Amino acid sequence: MSENPTPSGVRRREFLKILGAGGVATAAIGCSSDRVEKLIPYLNHPDETVPMVSNYYASTCRECSAGCGVLLETRDGRTFKLEGNPDHPLNRGALCARGQAAVQGLYNPDRYRGPMMRNASGRLVPTTWDAALKLLAQKLGAVQGSGRAGSALFLNRHESGSFPAFLDEWLAAYGMPAHLSVDPLADNAVIAANRQSYGVSWPWLAFSAARLIVSIGADFLDAWGANVPQQLEFADARARLADAPRFVYVGPRRSLTGCNADQWIACRPGSELAIANALSGRGSLDDAATASDVPVATLQALKAELTGTRPPLVLSGVAAGDAMELALVVNELNKQLGAVGTTVLPDRAITSFDGIATDADVNAAIDAMRAGQVPLLMIRGANPVFTTPRYVAVADALKKVPFKVSFSSYPDETAELCDLVLPDHHAIESWGDAQPMANVISVQQPGMAPVYDTRQTADVLITLAKANPGIASKFAAPNYMRWLIDRYPGGSTAFTLALEKGVGTGAVAASPAPRRPAVTPKAATPIGQTAGDMYLVVYPSAALGDGSGANKPWLQEFPDPVTKICWQSWVEINQQTAVKLGVDTGDILRVETAQGAVEAPAYVFMGIHKDTVAIPFGLGHTAYGRYAAGIGVNPGDVLPAGFDAKSGAFAWTATKATVTKTGAYTPIVTTEGSARQHGRGIAQALTVQELADLAAGREKEKVEAMPGMPNTEYLPGLRSPMAADAQGVVSSDIKHKEQGMYSPDHWSGMAKRRWAMTVDLARCTGCQACVTACYAENNIPTVAAPYQEVHTAFLHGVAGGNILKGREMNWIRLERYWEGGEDGGDFEARFVPMLCQHCGNAPCEPVCPVYATYHSPDGLNVQVYNRCVGTRYCSNNCPYKVRYFNWFGYGEPARPQYAWPERLSWQLNPDVTVRGKGVMEKCSFCVQRIREAEHRAKAEGRAVRPDEFTTSCAQACPSRAITFGDAADNDWTVAKLALDQRGYHVFQEQLNTFPAVVYLKKVNHPAPAASAGA
Amino acid sequence: MTKRRKRVVVPGLAALAVVAVLLSAYTGATQQPDTVIKDRGSWGYSAGSSPQGRSPIQPIAFPHPTHVQTLGMNCLYCHFSANKSPDPGMPAVGTCMGCHLVIGPNRPAMNGRPARKSEGIATLQKYWAQKKPVPWVRIHHVPDYVNFAHMPHINAGVTCQTCHGQVQQMNRVYQYASLNMGWCINCHVGNVNPKWKARYDCSVCHY
Repeated sequence: MSENPTPSGVRRREFLKILGAGGVATAAIGCSSDRVEKLIPYLNHPDETVPMVSNYYASTCRECSAGCGVLLETRDGRTFKLEGNPDHPLNRGALCARGQAAVQGLYNPDRYRGPMMRNASGRLVPTTWDAALKLLAQKLGAVQGSGRAGSALFLNRHESGSFPAFLDEWLAAYGMPAHLSVDPLADNAVIAANRQSYGVSWPWLAFSAARLIVSIGADFLDAWGANVPQQLEFADARARLADAPRFVYVGPRRSLTGCNADQWIACRPGSELAIANALSGRGSLDDAATASDVPVATLQALKAELTGTRPPLVLSGVAAGDAMELALVVNELNKQLGAVGTTVLPDRAITSFDGIATDADVNAAIDAMRAGQVPLLMIRGANPVFTTPRYVAVADALKKVPFKVSFSSYPDETAELCDLVLPDHHAIESWGDAQPMANVISVQQPGMAPVYDTRQTADVLITLAKANPGIASKFAAPNYMRWLIDRYPGGSTAFTLALEKGVGTGAVAASPAPRRPAVTPKAATPIGQTAGDMYLVVYPSAALGDGSGANKPWLQEFPDPVTKICWQSWVEINQQTAVKLGVDTGDILRVETAQGAVEAPAYVFMGIHKDTVAIPFGLGHTAYGRYAAGIGVNPGDVLPAGFDAKSGAFAWTATKATVTKTGAYTPIVTTEGSARQHGRGIAQALTVQELADLAAGREKEKVEAMPGMPNTEYLPGLRSPMAADAQGVVSSDIKHKEQGMYSPDHWSGMAKRRWAMTVDLARCTGCQACVTACYAENNIPTVAAPYQEVHTAFLHGVAGGNILKGREMNWIRLERYWEGGEDGGDFEARFVPMLCQHCGNAPCEPVCPVYATYHSPDGLNVQVYNRCVGTRYCSNNCPYKVRYFNWFGYGEPARPQYAWPERLSWQLNPDVTVRGKGVMEKCSFCVQRIREAEHRAKAEGRAVRPDEFTTSCAQACPSRAITFGDAADNDWTVAKLALDQRGYHVFQEQLNTFPAVVYLKKVNHPAPAASAGA
Repeated sequence: MTKRRKRVVVPGLAALAVVAVLLSAYTGATQQPDTVIKDRGSWGYSAGSSPQGRSPIQPIAFPHPTHVQTLGMNCLYCHFSANKSPDPGMPAVGTCMGCHLVIGPNRPAMNGRPARKSEGIATLQKYWAQKKPVPWVRIHHVPDYVNFAHMPHINAGVTCQTCHGQVQQMNRVYQYASLNMGWCINCHVGNVNPKWKARYDCSVCHY
């Protein structure tokens, strides 16, 4: 029988031989370590670096105009993490999600690799810098020669600091007019009003000094103004608990800022001015009530509260045709109520927004292009083709410009239409500075050598000037760095000192060029007079900003803080209206205006006025790389080009729209489970009264009846009998049982520690900077780019496809729960950062068949990737649902789901394993940082110092809500906070999990009448 | 509280531009598709440590005995970061040339020893002249999921020879230890030296 040939003609014996050899070969491939891996040394070792030890270069974040200070964590020549600079007066060590994601711009796989030139057949093709510069020099010469230099145009993405002055100097040398500084996110109306009222563009907003905050559409926690400093101030204000200001938000939709308010007054878009007039006594309450659809009593109460509370802080931030008028009324109101000097501080103004061109100026420039008056256009950083309404037809206007140069580093919509692309360095590769506040210079230095063959625009301009004999003498500095140092107040010594700290004192040179003459803006049609059945609100997305964040997968996978939707555009519609129209979440709506139509799925939302629909701005790119192109819709496609007549600010909220149900449906890509708590006590809150009772011990019984009450006796000792059993400390010795593994006598000495975290929900604003910080630190893959989707007969590369299947990987997520509002009235939003609770008695541990998850003696619930075989029992047994499974080989370049295409992988944190396919992963409490601190302490012969280090989420948190540390050592801040009377553990009471995360209850401030029992 | 390490004034841009980086930190999962894929088990991890006794041929036959025994150099002179970093540090070519600018390949007859030409020094100087780093072949390799740090071991008094063998006697370095986990644990439980007893739960090295 053994001699019978098999059907393939191979005899069994031979087959076994082949199999045997194959087995050996497989083993050799599978297990061999004979591969040649090189150890490449430096040629000359840079003095200040040690391999595998990070250096932190202080620099400035350029993701928005604010100019926060950052530390570039750089190791072995690569910058892989941005952290806030604690010495910086603006952001005091915090950093928002967009700032965190800057590294994904640096290593973006779709960046231009080098200069590009349009060839004879009209395609952009790679060229050399020499050829590109020669061409540009020739074009500049031609423009000068033709005498039309005065009509040339330079559009620059706004930044404060020396560059605008340098640029104007350069332009003036060529006889060109001053540049236009573009920032589509800037609230030009408020800036203009502030300038008129206070003489500064952005006074410091001291939320913590206020007793009442009234925001009329000013989304100071979203994209309005300087996000991080405002969040820090607001969180500091809320941390005053009983003394904290009550916060009332007035606006047509409840933004993230609105969700942090104690009261939301839903008004019609366009009625904000009437409300402000009524509040300030200029207009009647009845008129305001009619216009805004707000009950008179509500306005009356707000007016009474506003006049009776000192000091208040009133803000406005609408993007409508009357925005500046509104801002002036509000500024006047602040003056009347004594807010100026206490809560509005013009003396401490933020100067980052000085010099921004108004949207009307930009529009006039586009008109000039369309008229064929612009012989040469240079664009750096700005992307007007995307950020300007399609109705303006910027792309057509660009066609009338004979020669267009882009300094964009990314193939965005505008760069793709240019004739020459001279890619700029990323901010992390550049020298520069910012002037975020008077007498504060925030320096910007590169963290690493350029990733691609790019050149800093300032250096390119200097090179061009040097080649031009007429003006070479004006640009003697060899490069922009030298130019900066030469002009730095205090010279190179002061510059070097400032580099160390990240900030210096003084003022940078102002632009010598006269500003462009102001244009008369085309006033927006009042929204009430436009055609349509619903008001349309277009607002900038918190994560994507003006759309420039859309090419960064972290920000695409960043669930919107309010709706929890990612990788998708949506139309917010009120639930009552939705019922009337028969619309459910996911039904595709057609939003049509006189300018065009967009279609996007509906998101049925309590937090929007019933006559209003809202669409976030930032998606709908047609170019801009693999993560941006083709995802979502651009609401700019349906906007008219109207402006605030006084300030020239673009009116985003300027039209009504006709909303119809198309009949099509698409599932909403959301990371949300249930929007309600169903009595689970996950996000808990107290009113001010309850807090006072708690402090006085009056409400003790009631409080203890709540689920998961503090019982802080669990910390620091946190006895965990089951964890002890899992460690093999099984004995009948009752003492062992009690102590679990936290015996201070444990020989390793580690058991003295109990790593723990507190999350102050009174501070947390739900901004999700922690989420992005965690992605950055822990090599978390993004899973839902279109190319990562498994292609089936029904699904072809749908963005968000993996998230629809519940495969998101965010180790820390923000859960957002609605409280109340079932009757269509006001409601409360609560945010809870949810991460692995590192339970002392973890349900995940005993169910793992291979001990891949266990409890370490220092209190961590550890996931051991190399032990994990992927049964997912742990995840099924986790009540917090914080364990995430690698369904695909996200870390393997050859797989279609690869999450770090060249060169995003350069961002990976070398301290953290990139997990493989089929293993479970979860929050590790940044164990790599713990070990690093321990190693360093040991090397220095000391113990780890209290608060010496913290986790990535806590480091980034712009509201300082998260505190991490050793709860067993009273010198750590976390040990004190864990004992706070507001503390509670999620699910402790029901499930006996002994979590290491202590949440501190949010404190709500009900309206005065309500608390009086009216 | 937020600073984890010192901050530095001026980045070594020039140096960064000159040469690549010690590959060790970044080879992991994503840098080198060809090697990574080949080396992965079904779970996507490189399957194990490099084998004991491995002794690859190096681009320069670097004689440790000459430098350590004859000249009395300390390990830390070249592997300068072993006591302050997870990575021991490979000497920059400039470090070699600190001496070998003077000590060339052609040694004259002296002190009764005949004249000799050193291929190694000649090769080194060639690399230096071409401004190229020496492509040393890595010998010791632990999988990506192991976070081995030199610093705490050296600072605990573990000698280099404990793990690497008598390198000062090796004319061609080979892998002395097995580098498998049992070998690590054996020392961590205190079997090698009771004073070196250390934690040995998973999260000490695997994260």
